[in-house]
Parts: sequence; C-alpha cells; structure tokens
Amino acid sequence: MRIVEVKNLNFSYDGRYKVLENVSFFVEEGDFLGIVGPNGAGKSTLFKLLLRFLKPQSGEILLFGKRIEEFRDWKSIGYVPQRLSVEHTFPGKVKELLFSVSRDKRETEYLIEYLRIGNILDKQFTKLSGGQQQRVLLAIALSSNPKLILLDEPTTGLDIHALNHLINILLDLNSNHRKTIMMISHDIGTLLKHSNKILCLNRKVCYFGNPVDAIEFIEEVFGLRGILDGTS
Amino acid sequence: MELLSYDFIQRGLLAGILIAVSTALIGVFLILRRFAFLGAGLSHAAFGSIAISFLINADIYFTTVIFTVLIANLIEFLTQTRKVPGDTAIAVIFSSGMALAVIILGIAKGFGENLFSYLFGNILMVSKEELVYSFFVFLLTMSFLLVFYKKLLITTFSEEIARVKGVNISFINYAFVSLTAVVIVASIKAVGVILASSLVVIPAMTGILLANSFLMSLVYSCLISVLSVVSGIFVSFKYDLPPSGTIVGISILAFILSFVLRKLPLK
Repeated sequence: MRIVEVKNLNFSYDGRYKVLENVSFFVEEGDFLGIVGPNGAGKSTLFKLLLRFLKPQSGEILLFGKRIEEFRDWKSIGYVPQRLSVEHTFPGKVKELLFSVSRDKRETEYLIEYLRIGNILDKQFTKLSGGQQQRVLLAIALSSNPKLILLDEPTTGLDIHALNHLINILLDLNSNHRKTIMMISHDIGTLLKHSNKILCLNRKVCYFGNPVDAIEFIEEVFGLRGILDGTS
Repeated sequence: MELLSYDFIQRGLLAGILIAVSTALIGVFLILRRFAFLGAGLSHAAFGSIAISFLINADIYFTTVIFTVLIANLIEFLTQTRKVPGDTAIAVIFSSGMALAVIILGIAKGFGENLFSYLFGNILMVSKEELVYSFFVFLLTMSFLLVFYKKLLITTFSEEIARVKGVNISFINYAFVSLTAVVIVASIKAVGVILASSLVVIPAMTGILLANSFLMSLVYSCLISVLSVVSGIFVSFKYDLPPSGTIVGISILAFILSFVLRKLPLK
C-alpha cells in the first residue's frame, strides 16, 4: 500500500521562486525513505506540505490513499521537527510534555520504557542534551501510535553514541513495528546504509530509488564526485 | 487588621486577588510564546476605547471589552497570516490606541480627569460592578485553562507538533488572545493602562524563573502576583502611596529577589 504519493508538486513561498518543482515520488508501507539534498533544496518545505502546514500551488498529495484535502487521520502521522524554537526558559518537564499528548497512560508508559527515558521524566526539556531531546521528541511523535513517522534532521548535533542509539530505535520501529519512516538528514552515509529508498532533492527530484544507485546522483548534487564511493 | 473593616479595602483586596491570579496565569503563556508585549499593546488600545466610551457616553466596560477583544483578534489575524510581524502589529495597535485617546481629549472637553484616572488605575476605588467583572474574568480564565490546559501546554512548546497532534491551533490562539483582552481590561482598574502589562509579565516571569515545572510556574506566578497585590494595597494605604505603582514596585522586587535566588548555590 502506498502511504504517501506525491504527484507533480509545485510550491513557491512568494509566487515567483519555485522551492519545489514538479516533485513526484511515493512511499510504500514499511519503507525507510532517506531524503537528502543541499540546504535550501526544499526538504523541510516538502514535510510542511505533507503535514498541510503549507498548501501547494499545484500538484497532488495522497496520504494513505486519500487526497490530502480530505485526509483527517493526522494521528496516524508522527512528526519530529527540525528545530524547536522553544523559549530557553520554558519550564516544562518531560513528563508534562508526554502526558499533554498522551491518549493512553499504559501506551505512554510503554513508550517511556521503549525509548529509555524513564530517568529524565522529571527533568526540564530545555535542560536535556541533544540526544535526550531527540528521544523525547520521538516519544511525543510516537504517542499517537502513528503508522508514518516524519523526521526532519533528527541527527543534527548528536554525538556518535546518541546517533547510534537513535538510528537503532528507528530501525527497530521500521523493521519490528512496521512503521514507515521518512527521514531528512545531511548524514548521507547513515541514510545510504539504512534506508531502502533514497529521495535526492534539489528543488526538483534528482534521484528516487534504491540507495546503491543513489551515490552517483548524490555526488553530482553535492559536488562530491568520487568521495562517497571511495574512488577519489 | 483594622484596615479590613473598610468596605473599599475589602472590595479592592478581593478584586485585586481575582485579577492577580488571572493576569499571572495568562502571563506565563504569553511570555513563553514570546508574546509578552501583547498586554501592553492591548491596554493602550483599551485606553482609546475608554476615551470613545466617554465621548459617546457608553458603558465603559462593555465598550472596552468588545473593542479590545476585536483588536486582539486583529493582531492575531495579522500575525497568523504573516502579513505583519507580531511585535510590529502590537506596536501599531499600541500607538493607535494612545493616539485615538489624545485626539478625543483634544476635541471633547470635560472628561479629561476621569479619563486620566484610567492611566494609573486605583484598586481602592473598585465598584461593586467592577468586582463582579473581576470575578467573571477569574472564572473565565480558570475554566479556559482547565479545559484547554494540555492543548495550551503543547502549543506553547511547539505549534507544529501541536498541530500534528490534532490541536486546532487557530481556535486556541484566537480564544487565548480574546481571553487576554478580557483580562487586560480588568487589570486596568487595578493598576491602570500604563502598568497593566506589568501585572501580566512580571509575576509570571518571576514564577517561571523559580519553577522547575510548567505547573509550578503557574502556581508560583499566581502566588507572587497575589502577594504583590495584597501587600501593595496595604503598603500604599499605610504610607499614602499610589496603589498601582506600589503593587508593580513590589512585584519588581520579587522578580529581582527571585533572579538573585536563582543564581545562588542553594543546594
């Protein structure tokens, strides 16, 4: 089943400069789609269109087979945003945030155990490390038991341990819990290693397909010829 | 204790406590959503409306509440549609309210003194009707927070996440700015147009500084706000000082104290 289907999507913030041009791709149930592209390529904008924060100028988006205009089951989508603009004095504790979005206490307790965040429940979110914050954001995203998870650069600023931990969780969610994942990242190596599909975006779709054949296209987009496959 | 036997002190204390709790509660959300200046903008806009009420001889509270709620929604609309940055919209409204009052004062004579009394307010001159209005505002604020607490919390944390979680952001935002407008009109009586935003911002910021959770920031804000108003009333009465300035002065002292306490290694 196609969870996401995007057809000839066009978007511009000012009506002149196209941030996305004729973008088409699809995501099937159980996919782990890695989205790569340089800064300003329209990756985060694509997520905002999929979440209906923005409306496209033209094109079509289907979510779970329904046109986005008619789609109502937003709880089946979890979202981890790129950057949170939380006020640094925000006093909220992790458990306050989790229970503000919780539907079921037992589900939330399971999530706390699964993501190993029991020891930070009483800490203020703004005082957590980057890796801990990402796990809390993932817990919030998972709180509605979504089938599709969108992650916008979740690995930025994480050290190797936090990165490995997050990736292991995502792989487990993908393979053992049948969650479909779409993840934007500049960590191309990680995405090439773990995704089963790659979307390379630079306002237009430069490449959409399996990770093995993606290297050449990504090198071209980023100007990295020979670096990713070790031939330089 | 003898002071408490006076009717006007009783009314002032009661209205003051009700207003203090309402302003502190909305203040926490306003600050954390970087909308702290909204209180100042709305109180100054309300001043224009009070001038209109005098000019057309209309009920001051009714006219001002309607006017200020409309203005608050206009600011929210301009901000949501990204036509104008939020702080700029507030600055325009702020100036417009004052300009309107100045023009009306210029063309109509005879109520200048009454109008100016709203600039600084006087909690010790609260009428029975104003006390009832304060009670209504308190009930409205408490009910709104009780019903929408979880939604307000996650929206304050991240509007994007809240939206994906199914929160109707537009409704929450418009309802919240409308509530802010209603609370601001009530606080004008306590501390006046010029200092109304102080009652919204200072105790709330103090509570945020002291608290180690969101809920406790609301509790501390209310306590500090009530303490400032009650002690402000007593101090102003005893030393014959203006109540509004005394209330705000005490809340500023509490803010400074909490700021210092936070820096001290108390563990």
